[in-house]
Amino acid sequence: MSTTFERVAGPYKGITGGLAWNGKEMLFSAVQEERILRFHPASGTVDNFRRWTGRTNGIAMAADGSVFGAQEGGRHVIHFMRDGSTAPTCDLIDGKHHNQPTDLIVDTKGRVWFTDPYNPTPPYGPPVFPFLDHASVLRLERDERRAWKLRRVTFDTRAPRALLLSADEKTLYVADGEPAKEGPRELRAYPIEADGSVGRHAVLHAFSPGQRGIEGLCLDSGGNIVACGGWKRAGAEPFLYVFAPFGAVLESHVPPADLPMRCAFGGPDLSELYFTTGAGELYRARIGRKGYQRSA
Amino acid sequence: MYEVDMRAPGSERIIGDNPPLDVIKEGIIFGEGPVWDKRRKSFFFVDIIGDTIWKWQPGVGAEVVLKPSAHANGMTLDHEGRLVVAGWGGRTVFRFEKDGSLKTLAARYEGRKLNSPNDIVVHSSGSIYFTDPPGGLFNVGHTGDDLQRYLEIQGVYRLSPDGSEMTLVTADFVYPNGLCFSPDEKLLYINCSRERLIRVYDVQPDGSVKNGRVFFQYSGPERGNPDGMKCDVEGNVYCTGPGGIWVHDPSGKVLARLRIPHHPTNFAFGDDDWRSLYVTQLGWVMRTRLNIPGVASW
Repeated sequence: MSTTFERVAGPYKGITGGLAWNGKEMLFSAVQEERILRFHPASGTVDNFRRWTGRTNGIAMAADGSVFGAQEGGRHVIHFMRDGSTAPTCDLIDGKHHNQPTDLIVDTKGRVWFTDPYNPTPPYGPPVFPFLDHASVLRLERDERRAWKLRRVTFDTRAPRALLLSADEKTLYVADGEPAKEGPRELRAYPIEADGSVGRHAVLHAFSPGQRGIEGLCLDSGGNIVACGGWKRAGAEPFLYVFAPFGAVLESHVPPADLPMRCAFGGPDLSELYFTTGAGELYRARIGRKGYQRSA
Repeated sequence: MYEVDMRAPGSERIIGDNPPLDVIKEGIIFGEGPVWDKRRKSFFFVDIIGDTIWKWQPGVGAEVVLKPSAHANGMTLDHEGRLVVAGWGGRTVFRFEKDGSLKTLAARYEGRKLNSPNDIVVHSSGSIYFTDPPGGLFNVGHTGDDLQRYLEIQGVYRLSPDGSEMTLVTADFVYPNGLCFSPDEKLLYINCSRERLIRVYDVQPDGSVKNGRVFFQYSGPERGNPDGMKCDVEGNVYCTGPGGIWVHDPSGKVLARLRIPHHPTNFAFGDDDWRSLYVTQLGWVMRTRLNIPGVASW
C-alpha cells in the first residue's frame, strides 16, 4: 500500500501539539493559541473543543470521555471534565512544583503518566517557584481517598519529551534528549515493575548529534512504536519511523512537513495516522497500519 | 532604606531621601491585598500562594484570619468596616460578615463564572468596583478547583451598594489589575499588567464611567508591571511598575520612583496619619513613610 499524506487543518499560530482520538473526532492542541481543536473527518471541519487552555500541549482521553491535558503554561496536568469545567490534579512532588509537563498518557488503571521537561517558554505568573533539579517522567495516581498524588517514575532522564506504554503496560517508552543541547537523543524502553517503579532502560534507538530526535509516539495494533520527529536542519529530514518493540526500524517515511510534533491514530478502525507540526498544522497519513485501542 | 530615583523638582514634598523601610512580615510567599483598618488599627494582607488572609497589628504581630482562603487576592473595607475580598482562585467577591461568616457578593456575570477577581475598591456610594483578569486560572500556585475560563471579557465590574446589581464598568483591558479613585472620586484609574499602562475614566453620577484615556504608558526592560495602585490626598497616583513604585502627578508626569527592593505587588496607605505605605511583596511585607497622606480606606 502506498503511503499518502494530506494536510487536513492549519496552519495555526505557533505549533500544534498533542492529539487524542475520541472515537469520532481528532482533538489536537494549538498550543500558543491556547485552544484544543476538534477535527471532524466526515466534514473536514474544525471547531473548538476547549479555549483558554493555558498552553496545554499533550492531551489524552480518560475512560469516561474526559480529557487530561499537560498544561505547559500553568505547570500542571489538568483535567477537562465532561461538564465543561477543568479540574486541577496534583502539581506538587515532595512539596515542590514540578516543571512544565508536555506529553501524557492514561493507563488502564486511570493513572496519568507524563513527561515533565524544562521549557524555553516561561510559565504564567511571577517566577516564584524554581524548577525541579530533574526532568523526569512523573505519574499521577489516586490515593485511597481519591485525591491525586504524584510519583516520580524515571531517575535518569534529562529531557523526556514523549512517552508511550506498551499494550500490556509492562514497558514504558520514553523519548529523551533535548535537541537544542548536547547529549544523547534516545528512544528508551523501561521495564515496569509490579510495584509501579521502572527498572533499567534499554536504548532502542539513538539519534546522531545534531538530529532532533523523537517528539511524538503512538502505538500500532501490533504493538509497534510509531515515532515522529526530526527536522530539515543540517541536511536531515523529518521522519515517521515504525520501530519493533525491541527497536528494529521496520519502516520509515519522510512526511511532507517539517518538525512533526505528536502523532495519534484515528479514523475508521484507527487506520489513519494523524500528526501535528511545528508550523501549526494537522496532517493525516495512511501508512497501512492501524492504531492500538487501549481499553480503559 | 532604599533609593528614590526619577525625581522631579518638588518631589521631596512627597518623599525625602533615604526613606525608612521596615519589615512587617517575612516568610510569606506572595503578599497581596493590603488594606489598613482604621477601626481596629490593624493591617490586613494576603499570601496568595500561601493561601492565607493575615492580620497584623503594630506591637502585636501577625495572626491568621482565614486559611485556606481560596487564594484570595485584593482586599478593601466597606463603609461598615467589613473586609471585602477579591476572591481570585475561588472566582468570587466575598465579604466578612460581623458574625465571622463569609458572604459571597459576586460569582457570575450573565450566568457565567467570573475569571478571577483581582483587586477591589469601595466608592463613597457603597458601590464595589473590582477587576477580573484571568490570572487566577493559570498562575502557578494561585489556582482553585475550576481552572476553566468561561467569560469572553476581562472585565471591570461594579456591584450596587445593596449588592443586588452587577454591571460591567469596562471591558477595555487585556489584564485589568489595580484600580483606585481620585480623592474627589471624579476619576477612576485602572491599570493593565499586560499592556503596562494606566487608563483613567470620568466617573458618572450613576457610577458608570466614560471617556477612558491612557494616563501613563510604562516601558523598559526592568522587572515589574502595573499591579497595585492608590492615590494620595493631593491626587497623585502611585502604581507598581518597572523597577519599583512610581509616583505620578494628576497629569501623569513622573514625580519619583521608589526603588523598593524585591518585587512589590501592591501597597496601601495606613496608620493614624495615613502616611505609612504598607507594601506587599514576593516574600515580605514592608512599610515605608511618606510626607503626605494617602486616600483613606473606609
